[in-house]
Amino acid sequence: MNSPLRRWLAVLVAIHFIFLFCGFFAPYDEAEQDRAASYAPPTKLHFVDVAGRFGIRPFVCARKEVEDSSGGYEEDCSHTYAVRFFVSGTKSHLFGVDAPGRISLLGTDGLGRDQLSRFLFGARLSLFAGLLATTLALIVGLIVGMAAGFYGSIVDTVLMRLAELFLALPWIYLLLAVRAFLPLHLSPEQTFLLLVTLIGAIGWARPARLIRGVVLSGKQRNFVLVGRNLGATDFYLLRRHILPQVYGVVLAQAALLVPQYILSEITLSFLGLGVGEPAASLGNLLGALQQYHVLTSYWWMFIPGISLIPLFLAYFLMANALQRRLEFIPI
Amino acid sequence: MRFLFSRLVHGIFLLIGISVLAFLLFALAPGDYVSEIRLNPQISPETLVALRHQYGFDDSIAVRYAHWLGAALHGDFGFSFAYNVPVTRLLGDRVANTLLLTLPATLLAWLVAIPIGVISAAKQNRWEDRAVSLGNTTLLITPDLLISLSFLWFALRTGYFPVGSMTSLGYEEMRWPEKLKDIALHAAIPITVLVLSIVPVLIRHIRATMVETLQSPFVRAARAHGIPRGRLLFRHVFPAALNPLISLLGLSIANLLGAALITEIVMSWPGLGPLLLESVLARDLYVVIGAVLVSTLLLQAGVFISDLLLFASDPRIRTKSAG
Amino acid sequence: MCALKLKVRSILGLGVIALQLACAWAIVPPQPVRPGEELALSTAQSGKYGGRLAIALRSEPKTFNPVTLVDGSSREITGRLNADLIHINRATQNTEPALAKSWKVSKDGLRYTLQLRRGVRFSDGAPFDADDVVFSFAVYLDEKLHSPQRDLLVVGDKPIAVTKVDAYTVAFQLAQPYAAAERIFDNIAILPRHLLLKTYEQGKIGEAWSISAIASEMAGLGPFRLKEYLPGQRATIERNPYYWKIDKEKKRLPYLDEITFLFVPSEDAQVIRFQSGETDLISRMSADNYAVLERDQQARAFHMNDLGPGLEYNFLFFNLNSVLPKGAGSVAAKQDWFRKVEFRRAISAAIDRDSITKLVYRGRATSLVTHVNPANKLWLNPNVRLAPRSADKAREMLRTAGFSWKQDGTLVSASGAPVEFSILTSSSNAQRSQIATIIQDDLKQIGIKAQVVPLEFRSLLDRVFQTHEYEAAVLGLGGGDVDPNPQMNVWLSTGSNHLWNLGENKPATPWEAEIDGLMKQQLSTLKVPARKRLYDRVQQLVADNLPIICLASPNILVGAKNKVGNFNPSILDPYVLWNADELFLQ
Repeated sequence: MNSPLRRWLAVLVAIHFIFLFCGFFAPYDEAEQDRAASYAPPTKLHFVDVAGRFGIRPFVCARKEVEDSSGGYEEDCSHTYAVRFFVSGTKSHLFGVDAPGRISLLGTDGLGRDQLSRFLFGARLSLFAGLLATTLALIVGLIVGMAAGFYGSIVDTVLMRLAELFLALPWIYLLLAVRAFLPLHLSPEQTFLLLVTLIGAIGWARPARLIRGVVLSGKQRNFVLVGRNLGATDFYLLRRHILPQVYGVVLAQAALLVPQYILSEITLSFLGLGVGEPAASLGNLLGALQQYHVLTSYWWMFIPGISLIPLFLAYFLMANALQRRLEFIPI
Repeated sequence: MRFLFSRLVHGIFLLIGISVLAFLLFALAPGDYVSEIRLNPQISPETLVALRHQYGFDDSIAVRYAHWLGAALHGDFGFSFAYNVPVTRLLGDRVANTLLLTLPATLLAWLVAIPIGVISAAKQNRWEDRAVSLGNTTLLITPDLLISLSFLWFALRTGYFPVGSMTSLGYEEMRWPEKLKDIALHAAIPITVLVLSIVPVLIRHIRATMVETLQSPFVRAARAHGIPRGRLLFRHVFPAALNPLISLLGLSIANLLGAALITEIVMSWPGLGPLLLESVLARDLYVVIGAVLVSTLLLQAGVFISDLLLFASDPRIRTKSAG
Repeated sequence: MCALKLKVRSILGLGVIALQLACAWAIVPPQPVRPGEELALSTAQSGKYGGRLAIALRSEPKTFNPVTLVDGSSREITGRLNADLIHINRATQNTEPALAKSWKVSKDGLRYTLQLRRGVRFSDGAPFDADDVVFSFAVYLDEKLHSPQRDLLVVGDKPIAVTKVDAYTVAFQLAQPYAAAERIFDNIAILPRHLLLKTYEQGKIGEAWSISAIASEMAGLGPFRLKEYLPGQRATIERNPYYWKIDKEKKRLPYLDEITFLFVPSEDAQVIRFQSGETDLISRMSADNYAVLERDQQARAFHMNDLGPGLEYNFLFFNLNSVLPKGAGSVAAKQDWFRKVEFRRAISAAIDRDSITKLVYRGRATSLVTHVNPANKLWLNPNVRLAPRSADKAREMLRTAGFSWKQDGTLVSASGAPVEFSILTSSSNAQRSQIATIIQDDLKQIGIKAQVVPLEFRSLLDRVFQTHEYEAAVLGLGGGDVDPNPQMNVWLSTGSNHLWNLGENKPATPWEAEIDGLMKQQLSTLKVPARKRLYDRVQQLVADNLPIICLASPNILVGAKNKVGNFNPSILDPYVLWNADELFLQ
């Protein structure tokens, strides 16, 4: 494996690791409300106390409402709470402060829920929706593409016409329409699975076409022809000779599709067709920005959206690296 | 001509397949237009039953589709329950508004992308190319949603551009140059967002095609003949690289439609996107199908136009279809 | 003034651009007052003529036909184009003469005789008389048309009989006494017989006056008439030059030349347009947006008003339906809990209503104990009070009802099943979703696992009304009138909005039977104090038995530019435009 590929893969694995264990990295549960702190700005970390002494351990000040009924908050540094690491309450967390203090490094939402925690939990949901949908699309695409490429003739014609049907659709429009046909009365977990299935089911056509192309050229290669003459079964040929040839294409496709499908989930949730309260998804968090007062008043609500840029950059660079590697594979 | 004809037939088959798909799925959905009226405490159950019957919710799916298809062939795409007008009329205005965004956006995007892509290819791996590639990558990975929201925020904060809808109040009294200016001002932000969302894809492709063409023997020969650089790039190399780019035109329209949906919803531009979302939520059966069909048609039209251009520009395709 | 009009029409993507010369913007002056016209006198401050008012609507009107309209936007526009015989004044909440200048009730309360104004003309100049009234009621009562208004005009299973006594006198015969009968005339628009008779005889009146209708084919008796409708963008209404009201200076109303309704699909976009000065009035906004606008009111020359609680009440309710669909076995098992009044009381005690009013409505709402809201001073039972929130009390009630807690704090029923249920909310109503999320958190404190399921509104209604596949839901009901009568179909056990247990022929519990009796009795009781006593008891029963757990009633929040004169918003729908005839621009 060449080095840029390894580097970006490592970055991505690290990112996903953090999100996978979001329960540990987040200071609170995604649904935990602090009703005294609706739309509170990010908590500041202090190192210098009131007496002017510097300490290694950061602390936060108590939060109280500004008294002019504007709904704003200010710090009350007569009460301070030290930030502790590896705290264990009912669950263990990477960091936190002692009650009644609260630490919300990315601010809070309308119900006083910690935005950092919601971001971590939401990112887990969106990212894994993208990953699973990609897996699904690629599996379907692989089966269809290999069948079409290997068997040719009528199978090929039917499958590829079907793929064309799907490719000819403006797919975000279709996704939106299809999502609304399906039951909405589902738990967040079921909605998650539904979204994954839906995105995957609509997205199989492009990988299928690419894989078919690789299989078509691959099956003309000498060792496949020889294998066939020696009486190998179709299944054997597909598994032992054809499948290894399409791995590269599948991986490169995956790196391209994952961010696209993460975005699909985000779009659906943004439009109110994804997972609902109290579960967080990046789309839900971004959706709050459709509200005028949030967009204009609370800048910290932008952070989850902006964080998508580095994430997608990592995927983009990995896809690039994969593609470059693919070009060097002698076919 | 056979090439074009086969594309046309192909498109029609696609449309029929899609309409069946959309109609079937939709018929399975729970809830309908009449359910909303229920919460009005002044309506009796008999009234509701009668309304259900009147709207044909009690017929079987097959009967409803057959009715719809028969009418569609006569140019009648059904009726919007929510708006109480023929779907065709409803969609007509919305499509026009969407085109008002997408056509200028396509044009502008190409106008921006061609020089940047060509120059970036000519200066391959030098600082110009790297700068372009950096900006391009940033744009490419930034979701349309985020671009839209940022621009909305910008417009609201500065107040330089009107947000929401397509025209200001008092539009009717304006003379037409003012009208054009008014629409242009309203469209400025959505079009900018759309341009930003497709330009990076275009630049990437244009650069790649140009780089490839630049390495071909005829360019080396031309360079040896001492043809000036700018003239060489735009008069000789670019036309030679055009064919793959024409196919890209069709593809870019598909991208654009997706971006337009989000942008229109975020900016409340009265195009196809908000209509689709609204009718999906209202379960306005025929409008949803109509909107999906129309967007498919727009996409296919884009592909068809690029096919036409390809047909006109590439003699190989013409000879093949003649034979 | 003539202008070149660029019109883009297209059929399925094939755009056709046509240039069209349109002559518009002639302002219609009010007609001089003629002798013999029996005009109504407005008591509002005299204003000056001219100007155009703009207001945003959340959705487009579905029709301009007052007979078939069901949606809010159509009502908002069409209400300005038409007039009724007896009107409910939105400010005083009392009835006042409109097209009927006076009326008499027979001693038995069964016959209403209305005297119509003479010399009144429709917006096209045609005269109005008793024939128009008789025709209009014939249309509303036509069974084939399924007009939503028909339900109100059928008293004791018999439609009201309408007869013409003379050209300006109409008699209405009721089958049984009907409390506050004159209130039912409100919002029954009188139609122009001369324009619609033929359409009606052809059986096409249901399709008449659709949004594609030409303005010149329409006429009404309201202060305005339709000028233009642009789908997806706006509708404009202009002065009805023949309107039948004058001000103190004998000037014919309305003052405004035009009102423009802009179609702005989201609340937030409406707020943006009001703030940027494009629209002059705003209503129906969240408290958050209200706060944003309030900060701006000095700088931008508009003012915001909080009118206090409106008639909308939001509530949580459980599925108590006795008829359940097949496959809804899990709901049936949970109904054992839901049917226990202690369980419902415990839930009610556990809910932090103050947090709802504080977080969801930023303090601009009232915590509710019953469906009757403190704003409804006429009908409120002041003796029904809200007990303060108490998780301990809730636990106590649950314990007496046979529930217990496991080691980890999970509430379990007597049979040992953990208490879990889902709460449906409307996904398009951010505030109700927030309410449900708060309730979910409150119930977690007493060991109940509630799941919030935001559903698209129509699917939600489908589940509540048709399939009964739900466990609990948060909904809101509004009211067009403070009177108890429009609430009949919520409280009667046969009522179509008896949400928690629909499709019943007889009351399921003794207290529901008592409510049935009380509601029917008040309907045919004519004296208000006697009716009030009956309705007080209904409120007591609702608070004790909690078929719906009422939560909060949001305040009506409105705003207007400072230049709008006679701005007098009301807590009754339509909040700001009900006196459109008296509004003027300074």
